Amino acid sequence: MSDLPVSLAFAAFSAVAVVAGIRVFRTDSMVRAAFYLLASFAAVGAIMVLLGAEFLGMVLILMMAGEMLVMAIVMVMYMMNPAGLNPMVMVHQHRTAIAAGAVAFLALAGVGLAGGVPQRPVTNPGAATGDLGRELLGNSMLVFQTAGVTLLGTMVGAIAIAAPRGRFGDADADSQEPALQPDEEPEA
Amino acid sequence: MTSLIARLAAGSDARVFAIAGAGSRAAVQDLRLADGVELVDSPRAADVLLVAGALDPRHHDAVRRVHDALPHPRASVRWAGSRDVLVPGAAHVALGTDPSSAIRAAHQALMHGTMPTEPPLLPDEDPAPWRGVGPYGQGGSGMTGGTPYGRPMAELAPDRDGLRLDLLPTRLGPFSSLLPHGLELDLRVSGDILVGVEVAATGLAASATSASLFIRALTEPVSIAELEIGRARDHLRWTADALRLQGLRALSLRALRLGLHAAPGDHRAVERLAADIARTGIYRWSLPAADGARTELLAGARLGPSTRASGVGEDERQADPAYRSLGFAPLLGAGGGAAAAWRLRLAEAVRSLELAGRGGDTRSAVTGAVESPRGRLALGDAPSGRALGLLPTLIEGMEWGDAMATIAALDIDLDELGAVTAGTSAEAAA
Amino acid sequence: MSVALDAALGVAAVGGMLAVGSLALAFADEAAAAAVAGAPLRPRRLLVAPFRRAASALLTATTTTERPDGGGRALAPALLAGLAALAMSMLPLAPGVVPADPSTGFVVFSAAVAFVMIAVFLHGWSPNSTLPLHGAYRFGAVALSFQIPFLLAMLATALPAQSLSLVRIVEAQAPLWNVIREPLGLPIYLIVGLAVGLWGPLNLPDADDLAGGTSAEDSGLARWLWEAARTSMLVAVAALGSAAFLGGYLGPLLPGPVWVALKTALLLAVMAVARHALARARIERFVEVAWVLLVPLALLNVFVSGAFLL
Repeated sequence: MSDLPVSLAFAAFSAVAVVAGIRVFRTDSMVRAAFYLLASFAAVGAIMVLLGAEFLGMVLILMMAGEMLVMAIVMVMYMMNPAGLNPMVMVHQHRTAIAAGAVAFLALAGVGLAGGVPQRPVTNPGAATGDLGRELLGNSMLVFQTAGVTLLGTMVGAIAIAAPRGRFGDADADSQEPALQPDEEPEA
Repeated sequence: MTSLIARLAAGSDARVFAIAGAGSRAAVQDLRLADGVELVDSPRAADVLLVAGALDPRHHDAVRRVHDALPHPRASVRWAGSRDVLVPGAAHVALGTDPSSAIRAAHQALMHGTMPTEPPLLPDEDPAPWRGVGPYGQGGSGMTGGTPYGRPMAELAPDRDGLRLDLLPTRLGPFSSLLPHGLELDLRVSGDILVGVEVAATGLAASATSASLFIRALTEPVSIAELEIGRARDHLRWTADALRLQGLRALSLRALRLGLHAAPGDHRAVERLAADIARTGIYRWSLPAADGARTELLAGARLGPSTRASGVGEDERQADPAYRSLGFAPLLGAGGGAAAAWRLRLAEAVRSLELAGRGGDTRSAVTGAVESPRGRLALGDAPSGRALGLLPTLIEGMEWGDAMATIAALDIDLDELGAVTAGTSAEAAA
Repeated sequence: MSVALDAALGVAAVGGMLAVGSLALAFADEAAAAAVAGAPLRPRRLLVAPFRRAASALLTATTTTERPDGGGRALAPALLAGLAALAMSMLPLAPGVVPADPSTGFVVFSAAVAFVMIAVFLHGWSPNSTLPLHGAYRFGAVALSFQIPFLLAMLATALPAQSLSLVRIVEAQAPLWNVIREPLGLPIYLIVGLAVGLWGPLNLPDADDLAGGTSAEDSGLARWLWEAARTSMLVAVAALGSAAFLGGYLGPLLPGPVWVALKTALLLAVMAVARHALARARIERFVEVAWVLLVPLALLNVFVSGAFLL
């Protein structure tokens, strides 16, 4: 593949990431903000694919879809007006936010400029990935895998607890929750 | 090219949104079997609006709103006993004759462009002024307060976790595909749980003249064969509607076709239908589970199959000597719940067809109350009236889909209700 | 120049496969409906029906709702159709013949399936109307529940190939198709597929008890586009399912693409029958089954598949 299409794609995805990122704060609805954030992250994922980190880029895109949806639903359900379409302001604490943003940008830019980028082309990407994996995880692969399955088990457990079959009978039947205070009558 | 598209489009099924006014429910349902006509659930999906039966003036604005929700090009067909100006420019078809050719003709004319689209009947404006009001122009005070676009904002309600979950207030009806037409519900929804239910309005035209079979049996002896065939057909028609709500459209058409002409010889076909319905898993994973308090409510309300599904042998036919002479005993379910009521309705349809076959010339006795397919029916006291009274308690706290299945299981018939209560008010006036 | 030509050919091929698959699905669906309803099948009428519907959609105006999110409404069907095309573009048609073969095809397909929930939520949320919004909420619950069983079922097909490339996944089935090696995989995949395509027993977001759900406010071309996008997604799911579990183009005598078409048609037929023979699941029931039953079964499936490698 020649360099020009890649450069063009890089420019396009960068523009999407930046513009969508700005729109997160300039829009007037929480759901739109979540979707702009998703667009921004997806563009970053695409840039990672362009840089050769195919797996990481695609996994980033994959994970963000679910996360942003949960964020949008939770925001609409817990904080918002009907359907989250009525206008509202998305930014608070302007000064602190601007200061924090500026500091973070300068710090990251400083690291980027001062750190330099290594120029060592890898001859065998597969072996390099394997080496990196061994370097990072070493002999603790089993531990990491176990932790992953444990996390999954926790999620399943949480769902099981939230399922209708509860301690007080089936939630969709006529069960009664205990009172909030010890001496109170239970609420009907 | 344009003419090819128009020709192709004219050949498509005419998609109809039907408003079923007083006395037209069964006729509208029969249109599902008509060739070249497809009844749709949302006016947005329709080409033609069918306004059937008599409609109260208080429903006229709702009819106009539905009319304006149809996309252009649109046309209307008024299917009623007499001409009226409810929808100006609508083609008129007399109730009792088949409207499907008029519907198809309107659809074809629209697609060929030979008929102009109907202009809106109501002005397109915000229900309440809101623009520019409030600190963010959102129509109210506070960050999310006020009533922007005339729609009430979500309400804050206490939640046991300490989090405050919003409630979405919404109105369903009077012409929703999910409810019997004429019924309006005010719902407050938290997520997909109905936490507040009120019957906002109910009833179709006050001058409901439809004297159904079972209302006739209140005042005169009617042949038992006729009554029982009517009951079986009613149960099958209900099954068709309920199957559709559960997404089983093909089975629904089969039930409707059976319900149209069911005769004593058809009881095997109904049995086969019941077995096929059971095989879809509907009783296992579609219908809400039986629940104690709700089953108790239904058990005491004399609501026909819904009551007998919980094992209560409440049936007016037991009091009728004619039925007793035929050896009638009510079928009973066990445990209650929507699934038990479904099974019982289908079993009763089979039993009714058998009874009709044995009934011969026997006629029912006039005892002041009859067992309609929906429960105990007397002058001034229709089962649907009692069902409407229970409705809020029954569906409050339910998930949306369960609530819709429960409403369907109640089989509310506003025509029957109107006819019986109109009768008593007329008597009282006399 | 030849790169542009290749790309154009690829796009045309993917679009064509989706269109042919959608027509096949419409036919299978009508045939299944007629069989269940006990009505006669009218094949000639059936063949022109999709074109008639499209023409009538073209001539019908697209309505707007009160204060919708216009961008979201326009984007949702396009996004869903694009995801279907993305998935379809990775379908191996014959040895060495595949429109696109990214080394992480498995992850790309999974990301496409994950983005379906964005498309459906956007489609339900943007009209600013109660019933569509409910459909969107429902799909949120459904999609978050099927995500893990889906990933695990697909992961088990990547194990024998020792690669995330769909081409390698098909090649690795030469000795033994995955449907036999890991018998739990295909049923789990098909259940998830019904949910991804908003189809039949798992069509919860566009269900009849929501009067059409996320598409309740759609009319004209917008409605048709959404339906077409949904069908395309279902076709893509069936096609990739045939590649991941039924050996794709592998098979005796007939050329590869014919086998792909036959196997895809088989899965589409299963889905068409499921729509008319199985009732729609309650959402609570589905969410519970997905987490409590499908996740452990999918894990077991991964272990079984892994045992072959030891």
